[in-house]
Amino acid sequence: MNKPFSLAWQRIRRSPYQALAAVSIMTMTLFLGSIFFLVAAGSQAILTYFETRPQVNAFFKSDLVPTSQAVELIKANLQSTGLVAEVKYISKEEALKLYKDLNKSDPLLLEAVTANMLPASIEVSAKNPADLKPIADFLKTQANIDDVRFAEDIVSQLAIWTSSVRLIGFSLVGSHLIITFIIILLIIGIKVANRRDEITLHELLGATRGYISAPFIWEGVIYGATGAFIAWGVSYLILLYSTPFLAGFLVGIPILPAPFWFMLSLLGGELLLGAVIGAVGGFLAVRRFLKV
Amino acid sequence: MISAQHLTKKFGNILALDAVSFDIAPGEFVFLTGPSGSGKTTILRLIMRDLKPDAGKLVLAGPAKIHEYRRTIGTVFQDFKLLSDRSVFENVALPLEVMGVKPDDLQKSVKKALELVELTARTDLFPAQLSGGELQRVALARAIVARPKLILADEPTGNLDPKTARSIVNLLSTIHSELKTTVLMATHNADIVNHQGRRVISLEAGKVTKDSPKGKYE
Repeated sequence: MNKPFSLAWQRIRRSPYQALAAVSIMTMTLFLGSIFFLVAAGSQAILTYFETRPQVNAFFKSDLVPTSQAVELIKANLQSTGLVAEVKYISKEEALKLYKDLNKSDPLLLEAVTANMLPASIEVSAKNPADLKPIADFLKTQANIDDVRFAEDIVSQLAIWTSSVRLIGFSLVGSHLIITFIIILLIIGIKVANRRDEITLHELLGATRGYISAPFIWEGVIYGATGAFIAWGVSYLILLYSTPFLAGFLVGIPILPAPFWFMLSLLGGELLLGAVIGAVGGFLAVRRFLKV
Repeated sequence: MISAQHLTKKFGNILALDAVSFDIAPGEFVFLTGPSGSGKTTILRLIMRDLKPDAGKLVLAGPAKIHEYRRTIGTVFQDFKLLSDRSVFENVALPLEVMGVKPDDLQKSVKKALELVELTARTDLFPAQLSGGELQRVALARAIVARPKLILADEPTGNLDPKTARSIVNLLSTIHSELKTTVLMATHNADIVNHQGRRVISLEAGKVTKDSPKGKYE
């Protein structure tokens, strides 16, 4: 492995502008890939968050402490509809605890609120998001229920958004990958053409296809890996820089900061993708000049 | 070692070889002579397995796989075919690198080959820093470094002055006698052929016109 790798490195150093062009296009494409991947992963995480949240909240009158019999009756009525995946009762004390958790960074808001001011509620998750409205209508008919709120279209809108991001991402990144592949093929192809005599000589001396191809394949791998590393670094820096802003925007949705292992997986994926594009580009560029 | 029977090769409408037949035994030194376009290089390329005959039979001693077969032959070209970005040592080491020879063995073999062609003082120079005769001696060292059974030399003196040309052929002759290597050398240098007094296969317009054991260039 050493010899082909050092030959590839030597050739890269001898044609810095071609190398710069190859690494630049690779970086741009993989950067675009990173951004779309992060947006798609973030959207998916938000969608999952909303899917696992209670989708209907029925609030009792705030001056009322519901009896356990009343709560159990509503639960039983809900279960009998067959539309419900999970029902949970939130007492006034639990509501206060949730409120404190959500506003722990703002002591003024915490001071002003007591458990008595908050209503008890029932949280309901539907088996099917399409059944949210019938469940909400049903809850409105129950005794002592003051208000019913449900995220009617959030989940379905998010699902549409997530699949759109994926579709646009795949199309855009896919087309860029094809362009990148062609440019890598072209750049290594020029180098192969410049070394046609050397390739012929190697063939006459008894070199195998693998021996002749290896430095060109390594060259592609180096372009790909370098581009991947730069793209990952830039996208990670941008993500870190924008995390405070995004975290404020996505308050309550625990997806930021992105875990380091997740970013490492992204780096691994990009390195693999870049290396494969470079290697295949190098292999195809040299293949048409090989006669043995 | 080599047996050619009624070899025919065409390039488009041009008949490069027309039913050429000859046999070369192991350890022979044979000159292939004739004017330009007579088919000398075509024969060498067929023996290198760089071309396939259109008709006839060519029996070659050695492995069936092309790359393995080529490792058993050493080749010298008129234009030297040295890599300009590699030193003398690295150029000579090429066949051994291709074969995956260990670095220690490679060092020893290259050193021996360079001693044989008297170029030990030039190992770190690059082709651009050498004279024509020295370039061809590097090419010769590269051809013999892997101890091939057969050396094919295609007009190795074509770019050299008469004195240097004679020294190169003398060197080939020394290698032939010391290493017992079969040598097939294509040339149209009458002076060299006549001076050596070896077997000569004469070609003209793709046909063998004469095959004499101690021939002259005619």
